[in-house]
Amino acid sequence: MKKVMMGDHAVAIGAKLSRAEVIPAFPITPQTLIIEHIADLINDGEMNAKFLTMESEHSVMSAAAAASAAGARVFTATSSQGLAFMHEMVYATAPLRLPVVMVNANRTLGGPPGIWCEHNDSMGVRDSGWLQVYVEDNQEALDMVIQGYRIAEDKRVMLPIMPCLDGFVLTHTVEPVDIPEQEDVDSFLPSFSPDIMLDPVKPAMIGTFMPAEYIMELRRQTAGAVESAKHVVMEINDEFAKTFDRNYGGLIDIYRMDDAEIALVTTGTVTSTSRAIVDELRNKGKKVGLVKLRFFRPFPIEELRKALAGISAVGVFDRSISYHGGGPTFMEVRSALYGMNITAVNHLAGIGGRDVTEDQIRKMFEITQKAAKGEKVNTINWHNTRGESV
Amino acid sequence: MFELRFHGRGGQGAVMAAQTLAEAAVIEGNYAVAFPFFGAERRGAPVLAFARIDSKKIFSKTQVYVPDCVVVLDDSLLDTIDVVSGIKPEGSVVINSKEEPDEIDLGKELRTGAIDATSVALEILKAPITNTAILGALARVTGIVKIESIEEAVKTRFGERLGARVGERNALAARIAYEKTVIGISKGIKKLETKKQWLPSYQELPVGGALIEGRTEAGLIGPGSFIENKVSGWATFRPVRDKAKCTMCLLCWFYCPEGTIVRISDRGDLMTNYDYCKGCGVCENECPVDAIKMVRGRV
Amino acid sequence: MITIKTLSDENLFTAGHTACPGCGVAMSIRNAIRVLGKDTVVYVPASCAVVFGTTFPYGAWKVPFFHTAFENTGACLTGMQAAFEIKGKHVISAGFAGDGGTYDIGLQSMSGAAERNDDVLYICLDNEAYMNTGIQRSGGTPFGAWTTTTPVGKKIQGNRRFKKNLGDIVTAHEIPYYATLSIGHPLDFIRKVEKAKNIKGFRFLHMFTPCVPGWKIDPAKSVEITKRAVESGMWTLYEFENGKKKITYKPGKMKSVKDYLLMQGRFRHMSEEDIKILQMWVCKKWNLHYKEKGEPDICEIVQPEEHHGITEEHREMHGP
Repeated sequence: MKKVMMGDHAVAIGAKLSRAEVIPAFPITPQTLIIEHIADLINDGEMNAKFLTMESEHSVMSAAAAASAAGARVFTATSSQGLAFMHEMVYATAPLRLPVVMVNANRTLGGPPGIWCEHNDSMGVRDSGWLQVYVEDNQEALDMVIQGYRIAEDKRVMLPIMPCLDGFVLTHTVEPVDIPEQEDVDSFLPSFSPDIMLDPVKPAMIGTFMPAEYIMELRRQTAGAVESAKHVVMEINDEFAKTFDRNYGGLIDIYRMDDAEIALVTTGTVTSTSRAIVDELRNKGKKVGLVKLRFFRPFPIEELRKALAGISAVGVFDRSISYHGGGPTFMEVRSALYGMNITAVNHLAGIGGRDVTEDQIRKMFEITQKAAKGEKVNTINWHNTRGESV
Repeated sequence: MFELRFHGRGGQGAVMAAQTLAEAAVIEGNYAVAFPFFGAERRGAPVLAFARIDSKKIFSKTQVYVPDCVVVLDDSLLDTIDVVSGIKPEGSVVINSKEEPDEIDLGKELRTGAIDATSVALEILKAPITNTAILGALARVTGIVKIESIEEAVKTRFGERLGARVGERNALAARIAYEKTVIGISKGIKKLETKKQWLPSYQELPVGGALIEGRTEAGLIGPGSFIENKVSGWATFRPVRDKAKCTMCLLCWFYCPEGTIVRISDRGDLMTNYDYCKGCGVCENECPVDAIKMVRGRV
Repeated sequence: MITIKTLSDENLFTAGHTACPGCGVAMSIRNAIRVLGKDTVVYVPASCAVVFGTTFPYGAWKVPFFHTAFENTGACLTGMQAAFEIKGKHVISAGFAGDGGTYDIGLQSMSGAAERNDDVLYICLDNEAYMNTGIQRSGGTPFGAWTTTTPVGKKIQGNRRFKKNLGDIVTAHEIPYYATLSIGHPLDFIRKVEKAKNIKGFRFLHMFTPCVPGWKIDPAKSVEITKRAVESGMWTLYEFENGKKKITYKPGKMKSVKDYLLMQGRFRHMSEEDIKILQMWVCKKWNLHYKEKGEPDICEIVQPEEHHGITEEHREMHGP
């Protein structure tokens, strides 16, 4: 059934269809509509779940971790300062292998405070062990909640996952979304049944104080689980495509990369706008392509190397800055391409929620093209930034 | 470079001993470092500290694995820990013990200095804090620092923190121990078995470190597994109950923080399991009919 | 009703744990869990109890145990209880937090769970300082006490603020049950834990738990000291049920706080002046708790010299 709805609503419906059982919640713009809609669904009797009105995001993730450890399927959502406030608990959940799904509505992390889209909030927890997937439209947002549980709860993974959607650009934009049938979701996503949980029938200790003799192995194990997620993401992507007839490509999505000479690597909604620009440039005979980086964790090193093999320059889009050396996506992509003869340039745009226009994307291709030709360009390009010449 | 390892229990002051030794070495114009192994010690739990002394700056920041000298503040540690592990063949041992060196079985024949530091401490300091007494013995056995430097360092370090008088008393404890230390060769008979430890590979480690009740080659793990952790070595005094006086009010059973006092419901009796007694003395203090007495030593 | 004689033999917090000799927290945990029984899931925030109760791969708890952080006992209890409820499991979600984890860093999370009246049991093990990190002042530290962050210096001696009134904070949430307990009063202790076990909604048990190294006391005295605390009025035994306060033990005659202080190294430096100030605080508390209607205030101790004659009214009228 197709319905026109906002990204936040699509996410809420994704949680309902996934039969999430415990929803600890705290408001923060632009995520608030998600939890509000879930509260509506529960109070109207359309969704059977415990809605917990927590008193802070730190408590949200604490309750989420505890409920997950007690065997419940947990959903929550946050954004920006909220994600920063729960930082400690974000780091606690992954190595304890608690497969919570939390949507992050990407928003500027102050200071100074701002409410519009920036990726610096979720990038701040990229080393926490959480899986991260950046989505492009409302349909993908809904679908990645459902797929998210399959990936997170897979016994080879057992890690929390964070679908990230651009604040306002998706959260508050209406577009048509195909709502899957509950029975199809039920057959795709079985109920959550962890091997070990907090249960007096079979007492377990979870989160014990751990001496140095064990923590290194625990870290190695967590790293292994993130690595395993690569395979699982692909497997579940294919299964989802078969059931629901929507294929997102798994870790990355490739657009018009055949015979491409240069490419842009993007995350989030800028991907969507860039598709149109690629079409436009292709029509003019330019051999350009696009790689949508869907999963930031696990980071698709081999997939990127394969997708970008043969091109001479790549432009990497970043909606956040690491304050030196460019954005985090750029640093990771360039590192992934180590040893390949590809010039990489960084395009910083849309920071603080500034609109990323079609002209800016054309400019990104133009600069990347120059780099491909061996012309001198800046490695780090601040687009549409006063005082910078791009 | 001269390297030392200190074995003690939380609260005995092993770390302070290592630091004071370093200070004494510096007083003599040497360079010295001392550092603890940061565990999660409670009072009574085994702890480690290390020290290095050299004539020039010391760069190594690792623990000491091949010591020239091992200092043992509590000989009950010999039951569970191979204190002389890695010691150089010509190395020496300083141990707090009532026994003579040639009665002490370290599993290796080593030059050993023994001092009943607990008695010295109880006499001079009125508390079983043995770290200053053992430093006196250390000066005697190794000669790595002079007793005068130890006295000075003790006065400085303890004096600054606890007042000049306490500093003086502790320096006196060091001096008396220095004079009373008996030097000989330890026995090398018993095969010291280090307690087995479960060390799973990352693949074997349960997912997320979540544990249910289980048994490994090294013993129980998971919920309730501390029951195999014998903590009797922590105790200086142990309770003895006079059955004739006991009224079975069960207060000692209720208060015991350890579970040392076990109720045998079908016989209407109590049993004391000394494996778990840390010797706090709450049972003696609280017994309404004075049926419990704390006695020094093993029961 | 459970008594000492009928208290369970089963050690749900086993021997072999690594708490200090004479630990008041260990005593309180062992007996609380004896009453609560095996259908309990515990959350322990950062504290000594995490370390001495579980050190991977070992544990003393025989009931399910969870730990993640310091400041989130209330929230974790809420989360696990929600999971049990949606799964239809009848389990007691019990948290064992320290005073730092409750008075200070965990206050918000505790308040959230209390205000929502979540069906959980919150236990505060109050040893009046951050003991796990080596004796630092918390909001629960009493006036005058030495801690490593309120040292006895040449200029300033010990903690200069009074112990925070947590009981009033907790009961202001209008929860079904709040009680103060002391391990030295076993029958009262058992009765209150049993009561809290069987009440629905947010229950709070506030346990007074001596710390041997933190209070610088003889380990053998750790139970005796709780009795002295109660007899002097430093700790009061009461319960708060459905908006009504009830004293569960009233000492016959108030003993001077000095007796209590002298047993403990943390107070031994206190000047007569400071002891008077603390005694005044105790008297106020005593009268608040124990004074019947129409009875005169009890306090044999006179006001400290420099405060003599200067009241708030006086200041208002004449200036400082």
